[in-house]
Amino acid sequence: MYTRGVYALRELSLRIDKGEFVFLTGPSGAGKSTLLRLLLRQEIPTDGRIVVGGRDLSQLSLRQVQAYRRTLGFVFQDFKLLQNKTVLENVAFVSRVLGHAAQQQQRRTFQVLKWVGLQHRMNAYPQELSGGEQQRVAIGRALVNEPTIILADEPTGNLDPDLSLEIMNLFREINARGTTVLVATHDRELIRRVGRRTLSLNHGTVVEAT
Amino acid sequence: MRALGYFFSEAADSLWRSRGAALLSVLTIGAGLFVLGFFLMVNANIQRIIGRWSDSAELAVYLKDDIAPAQVAMIGDLLQKSGVAAGVQYLSKDDAKREFARDFPDLAAAAAGLDRNPFPASFAVRLNAQAQSAPAAVDNLSATIGGIAGVADVRYDRTWLSRLNATVRAIRGAGLAIVLLMAIASAMTVANVVRLAAMSRRNEIEIMQLVGAPFAYIRGPFIAEGLIQGGMGALFAIVLLLAAFAAIRARFGTALAEAVGLMGVAFVPAQLVLLLVAGGMALGCLGGFAVARRVR
Repeated sequence: MYTRGVYALRELSLRIDKGEFVFLTGPSGAGKSTLLRLLLRQEIPTDGRIVVGGRDLSQLSLRQVQAYRRTLGFVFQDFKLLQNKTVLENVAFVSRVLGHAAQQQQRRTFQVLKWVGLQHRMNAYPQELSGGEQQRVAIGRALVNEPTIILADEPTGNLDPDLSLEIMNLFREINARGTTVLVATHDRELIRRVGRRTLSLNHGTVVEAT
Repeated sequence: MRALGYFFSEAADSLWRSRGAALLSVLTIGAGLFVLGFFLMVNANIQRIIGRWSDSAELAVYLKDDIAPAQVAMIGDLLQKSGVAAGVQYLSKDDAKREFARDFPDLAAAAAGLDRNPFPASFAVRLNAQAQSAPAAVDNLSATIGGIAGVADVRYDRTWLSRLNATVRAIRGAGLAIVLLMAIASAMTVANVVRLAAMSRRNEIEIMQLVGAPFAYIRGPFIAEGLIQGGMGALFAIVLLLAAFAAIRARFGTALAEAVGLMGVAFVPAQLVLLLVAGGMALGCLGGFAVARRVR
């Protein structure tokens, strides 16, 4: 609940199993991004509990939050790539700031770049890439730390339908390897084409689950 | 080691990106440390001069012309056994006149032309190390001797040396206040430069926070940035100090050496140079830390 009694999410109860691929949909202001922020532990619910892997996120200390976030990967609509770093540096950045050994950083970065199909553009800067390529870099960055959960907030919001499907195929592949994937999108057509479990939010609560 | 490598490479990148502001910060720290260093250099030289003058401090006991020889012997004995004398020399009236003629040859003829010898007999007492550390003992001796009949006057350099020391202490106090102000200004400049760097790196910080990077990795580059700026500022200050030192020595070195009898002016001691570098780095660190602690 925000100040002045405005609820972003209300009476929300949902469960996502390990290894699932779930879409979160609904109109703007439905609460999709808020739910993702709660899962990222950027916010704490004023009431209720969010339990991930048996841990109540509200109860975590700052250090435990850091440890929890190391198990997550995130992808945003605006990619959030570092403009002064190359593709390679953007992907390696996570590994670097988590203090991984240089050899491990290198091995994992190359693996991921190959996997998202960008090894030939590793020395390019984000502004030299197309929207689809930039999102693939962001996905690579999310994967480099081998997360158990991937959270994506409107990852195809800036992309055309073909590129959107291409990105969704990447998420499907990630999910096929056992990673739990939660994608927030308002693109119903895309959801239909991918065909996975979907939770529809409106006014902060689940109105439909398919 | 890996973390340190990361901190410093990120800090160097960031400094290079905002090199204009960083240069300003380095110059401010440099100016602050230059004032500190210059003050330390002047202070070290004044201390040398005071030390030298203190070493040569004397107690002079002037005798009346009508003093009895037995009393002269008694005073001489008292001075010898006082425990503060490194050497006691008796100068008769004739000795004093000869010394005057030797020290002031131009005036020797005038003195020789006088009907009577105006110079008093005296004892010159060279003070020992104990007297330097416990001036009260010399004060007591001076008062005792001054009270003896037949003693005209007792002059003790200590009085003006004490005044000189008090003046130096006052100058040092004012200097320290200036240095403190400069240190605060330097730390604040560094903090502002690092704050700008933090703003320009907010996307990186956001990503680091989202991926659960340890606090050390988030904050380390800012502290390293402050440290580099502080260190560079200190090096700049030392270069300025060397230049100032060379200029002073070239311009006033001979005059100063003659005036105070020292082998020219001396540069700040090596340990103080190290202190300047450490101080600069500490100031930079402080500025960096002020910003870093807000990032969590």
